[in-house]
Amino acid sequence: MLGTASSRQQPHPPKNADALAEIVLPDHEEHDVRLGDLWKDGPAALVWLRHYG
Amino acid sequence: MQLHRARDEFEAAGAKLVLIGQLTPRHAAHFRRRQGIGLPVLADRERVSYQAAGAKVAVFSELLGPKVVAKGLLTSARTGKMQGRTLGHPAQLGGAMVIAPDNEIIWSHMAQDAADNASPEEILAAIRGLA
Repeated sequence: MLGTASSRQQPHPPKNADALAEIVLPDHEEHDVRLGDLWKDGPAALVWLRHYG
Repeated sequence: MQLHRARDEFEAAGAKLVLIGQLTPRHAAHFRRRQGIGLPVLADRERVSYQAAGAKVAVFSELLGPKVVAKGLLTSARTGKMQGRTLGHPAQLGGAMVIAPDNEIIWSHMAQDAADNASPEEILAAIRGLA
């Protein structure tokens, strides 16, 4: 139901952001953004939204 | 949105603040307009960054259990905003991370349930701890 998991999971954040850094996503203006570029010159806070509601 | 209101504090702390949502750039742009926020919003249709960040997919009770619903109602009462229609994978949970230039994850809070959200103050405290 609602795409829920069949068994309870635990969040499993990685030890470092190496894999995240290589991900490229479009922004709200359809410009591609490599995530690692967000923190190459200073810290970045990323917030993953559960939904757009 | 609390994070939008704290935007200046993130800038003062020397950190970028970026939101990542599901679906498409069009959905992200609509979300920004509707919420009246100026923060960048990335669109992750395949949820690859959610998986790389270790975000979990909830079981039913973590979405609509009594404690989760109660906390959501309290948040709505406090902010005056009700949750709108869910777009994207409805059981996908989110979270937050602070990442430093060497790909070091300084701090993370990935949600345990649908009402488990890090506050802007918690995220800012992690950033200020870097100074």
